[in-house]
Amino acid sequence: MIPELQFSRPKTIREALNLLATPGQNNRILAGGTDVITGIQMGSKRFSRIDLLIDINQIPELKTITENKAHIIIGGNVTFTELIENPIARQKLPLLVKAASTVGNLQIRNRATLTGNFVNNAPCADSVPPLLVYDALIKIESQNSGRELPLQDFLTGTYKTLIKPNELVTEIRIPKADTELRGDFYKLGRRKSVAISRISLAVLAQIEEDKIKEIRIASGAVTPIGERFPDLEKWANGQKISDELLKLLAKKMAEKITKANGLRWSSTYKIPVLQQTFYQLLKKVTD
Amino acid sequence: MKKNFSLIGKNIIRQDGLEKVTGQAKFADDYTFANQLTAVMVRVPVAHATINAIDYAAIENDPALTAIVDATDIPGAKKIGAIRQDQPIFAYDKICTHGDVVAMLVGESHDALLALRDKIKIDYTELPVLSDRTKALDKDAPIIHEQYENNEIVHYPLRKGDVETGFKNSDHIIEQTYTTPLIEHGYIEPEAVTAILREGNKGVQIIGSIQNPHTTQNVVAAVLGWPLAKVRIQQAELGGSFGGKDDTMNVLSARAAVAALKTGRPVKIRYNREDSILESYKRHPYTMHYKVGFNNDGKLQAMKIDIIADGGAYSSMSPFVTWRTVVQATGPYEVENVWTDVRAVYTNNPYTGAFRGFGSPQPIFAQESLMDEIAVRLNMTPDEIRRINGFKAGSVTASNQVLKDHDVNLLTVMDTAIEKSAFRKKWRANRQNNLAKEKSFTIDEENLFLNKDDFVDPQNVIKRGIGLAVSFRGSSLGAEGIDAAAAYLSVQKDGSAYLLCGLAENGQGLRTTYSIITAEVLGMDIENIFYLEQDTGLIADSGPTVASRSTIMGGGAVKDAADKIRKRLEDILKPEWKLTDSDELVFKNNKVQNPKNKSQEMRFGDLCKLANSKGVSLSVIGWNKGPDVGWEEETGQGDAYFTYVYGCQLAEVAVNTVTGEVAVERIIAVHDPGTVINKMGAEGQVYGGVTQGAGFGLWEEISTHEGMPRELNLDEYLVPTSKDIGEIIPIFVEGKDKYGPWGAKSLGEPTLELTAAAIANAISNATGKRFFNLPLNLEELLLNRKLHKEDLQRGSL
Repeated sequence: MIPELQFSRPKTIREALNLLATPGQNNRILAGGTDVITGIQMGSKRFSRIDLLIDINQIPELKTITENKAHIIIGGNVTFTELIENPIARQKLPLLVKAASTVGNLQIRNRATLTGNFVNNAPCADSVPPLLVYDALIKIESQNSGRELPLQDFLTGTYKTLIKPNELVTEIRIPKADTELRGDFYKLGRRKSVAISRISLAVLAQIEEDKIKEIRIASGAVTPIGERFPDLEKWANGQKISDELLKLLAKKMAEKITKANGLRWSSTYKIPVLQQTFYQLLKKVTD
Repeated sequence: MKKNFSLIGKNIIRQDGLEKVTGQAKFADDYTFANQLTAVMVRVPVAHATINAIDYAAIENDPALTAIVDATDIPGAKKIGAIRQDQPIFAYDKICTHGDVVAMLVGESHDALLALRDKIKIDYTELPVLSDRTKALDKDAPIIHEQYENNEIVHYPLRKGDVETGFKNSDHIIEQTYTTPLIEHGYIEPEAVTAILREGNKGVQIIGSIQNPHTTQNVVAAVLGWPLAKVRIQQAELGGSFGGKDDTMNVLSARAAVAALKTGRPVKIRYNREDSILESYKRHPYTMHYKVGFNNDGKLQAMKIDIIADGGAYSSMSPFVTWRTVVQATGPYEVENVWTDVRAVYTNNPYTGAFRGFGSPQPIFAQESLMDEIAVRLNMTPDEIRRINGFKAGSVTASNQVLKDHDVNLLTVMDTAIEKSAFRKKWRANRQNNLAKEKSFTIDEENLFLNKDDFVDPQNVIKRGIGLAVSFRGSSLGAEGIDAAAAYLSVQKDGSAYLLCGLAENGQGLRTTYSIITAEVLGMDIENIFYLEQDTGLIADSGPTVASRSTIMGGGAVKDAADKIRKRLEDILKPEWKLTDSDELVFKNNKVQNPKNKSQEMRFGDLCKLANSKGVSLSVIGWNKGPDVGWEEETGQGDAYFTYVYGCQLAEVAVNTVTGEVAVERIIAVHDPGTVINKMGAEGQVYGGVTQGAGFGLWEEISTHEGMPRELNLDEYLVPTSKDIGEIIPIFVEGKDKYGPWGAKSLGEPTLELTAAAIANAISNATGKRFFNLPLNLEELLLNRKLHKEDLQRGSL
């Protein structure tokens, strides 16, 4: 059931930040509502005792996608559909657009937002692995201050981030690469639509002749949150591409995940399949 | 020769289409009444317990509470059930399953009642939980219902010939065990019902998402201890049922009625998805052991079948569901020696009952898997082995019924499907392909980290397969029970008409089917037929809307009504036109004409006006009683059903051999439903049935933890989306039959029952491996087992 709560619809970021600063109460942002409303309905502890729900859907500033010399800048309330349909994103962020296209179904993509996806930070958040390999930064603002930090640092644990109760994520800033990067996103779900990820993977690589000059690897759903694999990346960088190398890389990733998180009920399936699908993805990217 | 029909077999848009797509249709929850109260259910969080005491003291005086309703408020039957009265309206002595409700809080605010619910103190003693159906008949198994000596709900033996001799004379014997899971109907509209006391002594009116109004009427009258006619049940527009809005709705209607009596105010019960999945009945999980003997020439010699169906906590429809299983367990094949035992047992799992297919999808999965295995063993193609053993005209079934008086079209539907798909060529090519290549990837559970050789080359990841399944299915109820239906047709003096049948619209489109039948007989415009509301006060009990019997039984009653009216109109017109009784008239295009003298012509409306002016009644009740059928309980022998339908579905799949994903690329569904009344409606049945059947094959499963369902909403209980099913090609072979309107029979359930088996055979064709436990999901394909969380905790909470 939806409890009694205050509801407001600010028209500007400033207004929203002022509302967030209201002391002594539990304020929550409402963007697409696909986590918040269902969470309240289910009686989730994460969404209990909300005093004020701040609907940011009337704030045009949060709805833009722009680019400058160094960055592509995505507003903090851009929906997946808006992202998928945006020419800049389509051209320059193909992994993110691909991941966005696999979220839920059309109705969910029309409401759910990119920012909401990683602020909720479920293990299976589909946008996180591509954002991580793009080295995304996020801009967070509060009434009196602002900060910018890598998304990777912002995501701290399952359903946990560094966001403070008085803060709003206003922008996602994705640095433009100065070299050509090849990459792909992979998602395994139980269905072709409205499917929660069982495994998600993103790879972005700079390939020179037959060598991996630089590789960025991220996973979702097989780790407690979406994460990068710096050790693996370092190990792979500079190596000559071979079938054997890619198989080894896939195996190393599985070993690393298992070592860090132990075996779970789903590991018997996921660990071997992760290796197979990561190998398939690496083959595709390095082909 | 085919009759020259005006409407039959054409594409007719559904009568209720417009109101549904524009959102005007009124579903059960769309009804509200002045002073209406709402209700929340009080449950105990265990699957098996004795109830010692319930203490309402903490909430009794709360202003949000209008009434607490429990078993002590029931004036009549406290327990109900079609065969065994074992299911309580409100549990009062013990809890048998998680869905049980001990009391209902009634008041004006749902939220306030939910808050009160947590304050009730229920003192109960937990009992050991029986969740494994295969252990239900063990000596030390907990007894679910003390009044019965063990947990057996029903046992159907079938004995034909001598199986031991049959096995002795067989060149080959194969034995396999198959299982199928608990399946939720997944109707899009959860349950809703309102009970309203009528003024004076008129009793109670109930409006709800009710599949079978007359069954609900019987239950509510029994619970209130009232005469049947004092209970009026009205069906709201139904948002899907698939067999699922029977028992659950009867219980909810009874609770609402008891509460309305106690409070004197209308009471609405409205379930959310979690309530619905927790409490509503489901499809029976089966464990099926098959032993089959056959010779080198492919001829089946003997079959021994042992089936255990999980009835869950209450008997419900188990005696009927499992009876269909025993009749059809050997499939559409001639087998001289058969020994079958089908048992339904009690457990503490959610109870199981009617679900589209009704005891057939499970054995079809087993027997069709087995037939393919035999084909492979004998180096035959799947169609060859079925051609050798499949039913032909005059074949004798396992229950010793001779198939006659209709086209036995089993091989015709199969040949139609295999010609359409180049089946043999593809099946052989896929098989050679999977034999030639290195064996498919399987997970070594002892070592989850892959060796170099375990990685599959990208070009070998996807393997394609083709498979088929065939079935025969008894139309309507057969020896399950009385089989008769009524229709009311009242033609007005301007030629428009009211129509109503005792079988209820469940979303399958029967109102349109019946209107087509009426319009065809009377040559009138279908737009001039106005279908009445389903109300027990307006039409006779016609048995439940189940068993794909609406067209054959209800359609027969409608045609009888229309024929009666036509006879009355002809009796008026023939003397006027100086024709004899044997002269034929043509009713077409809203006109009546003498084909031999076309100047003799009258508008249909004018003829109705003429009848009215002569004092001739154009309001009639049509009636259609099914022919006699028979069953010998001890031996399982007899003419089980009065006629049968035949189907063949063929599946083409692409299997991702490293993830276990199965893409259903194409399903060719060839069915002989007899004469097709509405082509569009028939095709709709195929699209829906195939999709549901694929869900049963690949995704759907309610898993339980100590009897508690894990998947309580549609985020975890996975039904296929439109993206998950490729092309579906419906093809109808219209066999002749003396029963049903113009020989129209059954289609709704045959469309569902074959799909999972066809897909399973296609997967085997692709991978070279056989699978025995539905659903064939990711884990089943790679691990040959399911993986489930240990507990019920949801991560996102």
